[in-house]
Amino acid sequence: MNRSLRLQIRICLILVLGLFVTGAFAQGTVKGTVTSKTDGLPLPGVNILVKGRTVGTVTEVDGRFSLQVSPGETLTLSYTGFATQEVQVTNQTELNIVLVEDVLTMQEAVITALGISKESRKLGYAVSTINGDQLNKARETNVALSLQGTAPGVTVRGTNGGPGGTAQVLLRGMPSMNSGGSPLYVINGIPMDNTQRGSAGEWGGGDNGDGIGNLNPDDIESMTILKGQSASALYGARASNGVILITTKKGKKNDFSVEYNTNYMTDNAMNLTDFQYEYGQGLLGVKPVDANSALSSTRMSWGPKLDGSSTPQFDGKSYPYSAQRDNIKNFYRTGSSFTNTVSVSKGNESGSFRLSASNLSNQSMVPNSGLERKTFNFSLDQKITKKLSVTAVANYVDEKADNRSYLSDGPMNANNILFLATNVNENILAPGFDASKNGAEVRWSDDEYVSNPYFVTNQFENDHSRRRMISSFMARYDVTSWLYAQARVGYDLSNDKSFNVTPWGTAYQTRPDGSGSMGQSQTQRSELNIEGILGANKKITDELTIDALIGGNIRKNESESVGVGGSFFTLPYVYTLSNLSQRSGGDYGFSKQGVHSGFYSVDFSYKNFLTVNTTGRYDDYSTLYSLINPEKQTGIFTPSVSTSFLFSELGNFGKLSFGKIRASFAQTSGELGDPYQTSLYYNLDRSFNGRPMGTFPGTAPNSTLNPFTLTEIEIGTELKFFQNRLGFDLAWFNRTTKNEIMRANFSPAAGFTGGFVGTGSTENTGIELQVKGVIVRTANFEWNATLNYTNVSNKIISTDLNNTNLQLGSNRATLGNAITAFVPGLAGPQIMAYDYKRSNGQIVVDASGIPVRGDLIPMGSVLPNQYGGLMNQLTYKGFNLAFLIDYSFGNKVLSATEHYSIARGLNKITLEGRDGITNGVIESGTPNTVSAPAQLYYRAVAQQITSSSVVDGDFIKFRQLTLGYQIQGSKLGKLPFQSIQLSLVGRNLAILMRKADNIDPESSFGSNLRYYGIEGTGLPSARSIGLNLNFKFK
Amino acid sequence: MKIQYKNILKQGRLAYLVLVLTFFTFSCDDLAELNVDPTKSSPENFDPNFFLSSSQANYLGATTGYSGPILFQSGWVQILASTSTLGANYYSNMDKYVPSTNTANYQQGGWNNGYRSATLANQILFDTEGKTGFENLRAVAKIMIILNMQHITDVYGDIPYTEALQAAAGLTQPVYDTQEALYQALLKDLDAAVSSLDVSKKGPTADLMYNGDVAKWKKFGYSLMLRMAMRLVKASPATAKTYAEKAAAGGTFASAADDAFIKYDNTNGYTNGNAGPLNTASDFYEVRWSKTIIDYLKTKNDPRLGLIAEVPQDGFAANNNAALSGNSTPANQLGLPNGFDIAGGATDISTSPGFPGATGSGSDATKIGKYSRPTAIYRNVNAPAFILTYAESELLLAEAVVRGFTVSGTSASHYSNALRGALAGMAPFGASAAIDAATVNAYVTANPLDVSSQANSLKMINEQYWATTGLLFNFVEAWNNWKRSGHPVLTPVKFTGNFSNGAIPRRQPYPTGEAGQNGDAYTKAVTRLPGGDQWTSRVWWDAN
Repeated sequence: MNRSLRLQIRICLILVLGLFVTGAFAQGTVKGTVTSKTDGLPLPGVNILVKGRTVGTVTEVDGRFSLQVSPGETLTLSYTGFATQEVQVTNQTELNIVLVEDVLTMQEAVITALGISKESRKLGYAVSTINGDQLNKARETNVALSLQGTAPGVTVRGTNGGPGGTAQVLLRGMPSMNSGGSPLYVINGIPMDNTQRGSAGEWGGGDNGDGIGNLNPDDIESMTILKGQSASALYGARASNGVILITTKKGKKNDFSVEYNTNYMTDNAMNLTDFQYEYGQGLLGVKPVDANSALSSTRMSWGPKLDGSSTPQFDGKSYPYSAQRDNIKNFYRTGSSFTNTVSVSKGNESGSFRLSASNLSNQSMVPNSGLERKTFNFSLDQKITKKLSVTAVANYVDEKADNRSYLSDGPMNANNILFLATNVNENILAPGFDASKNGAEVRWSDDEYVSNPYFVTNQFENDHSRRRMISSFMARYDVTSWLYAQARVGYDLSNDKSFNVTPWGTAYQTRPDGSGSMGQSQTQRSELNIEGILGANKKITDELTIDALIGGNIRKNESESVGVGGSFFTLPYVYTLSNLSQRSGGDYGFSKQGVHSGFYSVDFSYKNFLTVNTTGRYDDYSTLYSLINPEKQTGIFTPSVSTSFLFSELGNFGKLSFGKIRASFAQTSGELGDPYQTSLYYNLDRSFNGRPMGTFPGTAPNSTLNPFTLTEIEIGTELKFFQNRLGFDLAWFNRTTKNEIMRANFSPAAGFTGGFVGTGSTENTGIELQVKGVIVRTANFEWNATLNYTNVSNKIISTDLNNTNLQLGSNRATLGNAITAFVPGLAGPQIMAYDYKRSNGQIVVDASGIPVRGDLIPMGSVLPNQYGGLMNQLTYKGFNLAFLIDYSFGNKVLSATEHYSIARGLNKITLEGRDGITNGVIESGTPNTVSAPAQLYYRAVAQQITSSSVVDGDFIKFRQLTLGYQIQGSKLGKLPFQSIQLSLVGRNLAILMRKADNIDPESSFGSNLRYYGIEGTGLPSARSIGLNLNFKFK
Repeated sequence: MKIQYKNILKQGRLAYLVLVLTFFTFSCDDLAELNVDPTKSSPENFDPNFFLSSSQANYLGATTGYSGPILFQSGWVQILASTSTLGANYYSNMDKYVPSTNTANYQQGGWNNGYRSATLANQILFDTEGKTGFENLRAVAKIMIILNMQHITDVYGDIPYTEALQAAAGLTQPVYDTQEALYQALLKDLDAAVSSLDVSKKGPTADLMYNGDVAKWKKFGYSLMLRMAMRLVKASPATAKTYAEKAAAGGTFASAADDAFIKYDNTNGYTNGNAGPLNTASDFYEVRWSKTIIDYLKTKNDPRLGLIAEVPQDGFAANNNAALSGNSTPANQLGLPNGFDIAGGATDISTSPGFPGATGSGSDATKIGKYSRPTAIYRNVNAPAFILTYAESELLLAEAVVRGFTVSGTSASHYSNALRGALAGMAPFGASAAIDAATVNAYVTANPLDVSSQANSLKMINEQYWATTGLLFNFVEAWNNWKRSGHPVLTPVKFTGNFSNGAIPRRQPYPTGEAGQNGDAYTKAVTRLPGGDQWTSRVWWDAN
């Protein structure tokens, strides 16, 4: 344990134990019952707070409560779905309070930064809360994917990488260029590690998932989305992309409950292609004549018209030359996810606990691929003394993914099945290996770097497992009724293992000395957070209340990995290191970084209509320290101020029942992200003929970097009409980064291919609107609807020192010929592609009649600028129906499917000119008279004129449906259940509108910003339907 | 309004705690330690010699394999040919000047690897600045930089040199030197570096080329100077003469024992850059010797023919089986004409003049079965890669004599030395590539230099230069010398959709990233290029 850690712990102990100030109030006990006006039934779990103090309680199952209060004090009762009510205590000892239902609760408590619960009316910024119930019925294996369309300002994209893949969440567009965009996830007040474990790029690879994806949705009570900087300012650098606060379920007071939930979902591949089925396999209009020519054209549909005639295939047999439309359906199986969760919780006067265990068993649509995940969640609240309480939460995850699919490129990527010629039946590729040749791959196409999909599913191994413990411990000491000290320690530790085998006999990796390759690695990653807070909540005068805190935080991230591997197995099927003829040696990776922070927050509340909050945070970043330049700035102070004004409290506004105006200004800071970038380090590579090989990174060190800032202004309003039946929440924001630290690309001639610079600047401006309404409300039937709309415009203001375009990613198909990039002055990431060369608007062709490449032009951003969702919830007696339609407009997609389908004659545009195309003008401007063969013409269109691979990303999707029926209470008779709920659920049910002809516009193989909006050769999108059954035992 | 902070602050213990907390939070020495990588070495503890080996390995990266040469120059100068139809479609770049999906990527291989090699060598200079005991290492590092610069400029034209390799000092957008100024600077710097080599001092240690033999480095330096000088015979005859004479006087390679090559170390992951591709199934099947070079070797009765070429056993399966050796009888060898495919259309190999017919029958038939492919010596993953050889320096000296430069020896003697060197130079490929003395003598005797005219001599010398470098798979050198000398006279392939207007490419366009990363400098360089940033534009020394 290092010095500062010891010191910190000591401080925390002092914070917890050393402060003892007694409060003096003359108090008596008040008891009572809270019931609902609608049905007169008691309400359990109602929050009761003594106004102006931090004392309160929660009603029990029978709606009863008891509380120590003084006469004259006011109780504030809040309960989700009901209007908050204030009751003044006189001399009664028994209170009967009736709450009135209010769908658009205006004073609900929300969890804010550092896990502090605040009344939403006091917030000077926009916050959205998603209830756990919305996440755990129509499930995603990565729970973050369920956020799509649910709140304004939020975009979520998964990868087409199979179960357990990454969820790319962007809050308010792309906040900064270097960030990767991912928000900070905070679980029960403690930041968690969300590192991506491997992602696919243009050269293939798989998506090995992220941190958030490990959580079991059954354990989640709610997710709170803090989009704005003032909302998240207390979290420092990593909050610059916004924060998602996750609160896990806890035991409720005076309640014992056992709950069992079972969920079964099926996934079916959607065929979203609209390929031509008029012409069949072949080259230059000629269909295969023997096995050889068939092998060279398995993926080429440049043959003659399909006529059903008997045609040889690469396997030496002959098949009818006719359309095979069901290859996707037949190659992919029906995937499934079966989740069972059981939880026990109990609470009493002095505390509560909840324990849950869950098992997810998933089978991917890709044969022999799937995911097993076991999660255990334990939470404990305990009052030790009247003033001291502790909370402990532990979340254990054991996840094992078998054969995670490779994406994007050809090697070991089974999804290349998508580009079979129109008449080739996928089943002739099976089983993909030749048992008589020790299982060597059976070549199926012209290119051995495109592996036989059946060989991949039958022989390839790519296994990943993770064991992870996310734990937190908190102690809180109420020094007086208005002053508390709190200490929190959070530790997130994960161990990842991977095992990857390119099998013996793989065609592209076969040499005289063997074939195939393997790699094996283990990584341990941890994040430690230690935080101490001293807080006060005091009524200063009758009108003015102050809610303040001051605190400090230490964060430390570590990772350590060991990998071994090599190439060319001598013996077939023996996948051990000793069987390799070429060993790549051992790789060892290590990194450590830390941040020391101090912060404060003060809320001034004046009467019940005006709240002003200010926060400040100082962060000192280890990654910015430099031995060469020890005097430079490594820390930064960033302030925020926000205000909320409830003008509706000042008068009668007729139909307007609630009106609030809010405004905020906030700064957060950002750091380098990676350690060891401020100095140049040398190391040795494997020796070459016994001689040491010295090397150093291609990224130039920079010892002059300082923290950068994000500054955001937000103005918003909340308006509710007709007794809160209709509500609007509108926000406008503008966010700018300054001196953003980012990786610039240098010409290799400069000696390094890139380096970190502190010159970036990004601007996001947007509007977010949420409209909520109760459309119908009768005794038995209610229909609520929520519409979200977001409009964000992003602009890259400056990039590197010379303001050049910063290249991001590309796909394998258009490598180097079409890219995404940060282009100064335009929205990022921008697709840059080559257009046709034109003369007076006419396409210019060369002497062979083939189109000539023109300029590299910006084609639009890959990020949508208008998006949102429409959620409808209908309840009729025990039935409830909810469905979500979401939409996204304004972005472009760089599509490898489009490229391949044009180059390979599958795309419908290639129907034109099959007998030769005479198009355009020659360089001089005179009409072209030369006829070019269709195959060569379209190959050039695909390869040279890469703008042909850029498609529109607009869509409207039928995202989610749940239809449930709940039986409870007496209807269950003697059954041992409190309630049973059955739900039919569906996710990604239909694409109601899209402009791209051959792809799901949300498809992508990459899981970070670099590959955002780049599509190709991943798993097809899936339609999921299933069943959720929930039993609550008596 | 009465604000009562004072009451809070009065509590001394609290104020004390806040102070401690603040002090602790802002203490920073611990964080500074955290940002020191414990797994790597600082420059102070590092032996700069270790960058020499890396620099050399990266140079090979620039001159072999998929980073360009085997996909570009090998076919442009018709050493190799490929039907480039099936998986090996990327060989259309070399055989037909037709782009493939990754052309833009191959195009930058020479640049990226060359500059990386130079950067590693430059770090030696940086770290040994002002230190004693590293004199020879410094000179060798300079030679490595110059070697790379020549490679890059010969391929691309104007390139950064005077402002290059200084990103760490903040210079990230180096200007491009004109090739003319660059050559002058390189020759001057090379002269200084070679002069500073001192055999009485310690040699470099991690040296993959000469194992620290300073005398050999000296000969290498002068041979490189000779090669650079002779590039300029058209563009700047005076410079060519000055430096060729200086090099000859200084002492170029004396025998094939001086040849500069590096044998690969496959076990440690360093695989011969050309063997890697040729072991790939599609490449193995579809990459053959060009008709042009096989015809040349046959005409000369070159004893190397039987070592380098073989006709596969009959049939498609046998043609794809790397374990089956072919027939290497010289008389049976047949080169594949450049510019054909096996797609069944108008450019199918079966339509080529003199098509020998397929081998195998039925589904085992292959139309390219009778064409010679490179023998197993080229697929050896530990095979050597050649940098500069005695045969080359002797051919260059022969030409210098022919051109009337003042160098010792006759053109004929240098030529016959070159032939001996060329045959002996095959030996590093292994025992099967060694040629016995009698065969060498017979060949040298049978092929004296034609001194009947300067033109005839130049033709003979430069054709031999092309064949010798070609058989060593030093494709870029063969191509550079072809650009310079015009020998051998080659007939370009005219194929639909080619990127060079049906002409043999004379340079590689700059890496596509340059326009973005170093835009101003790039634009200026391109405006100086006759014809712009094209495959057909001529670099300065490639004067008409």
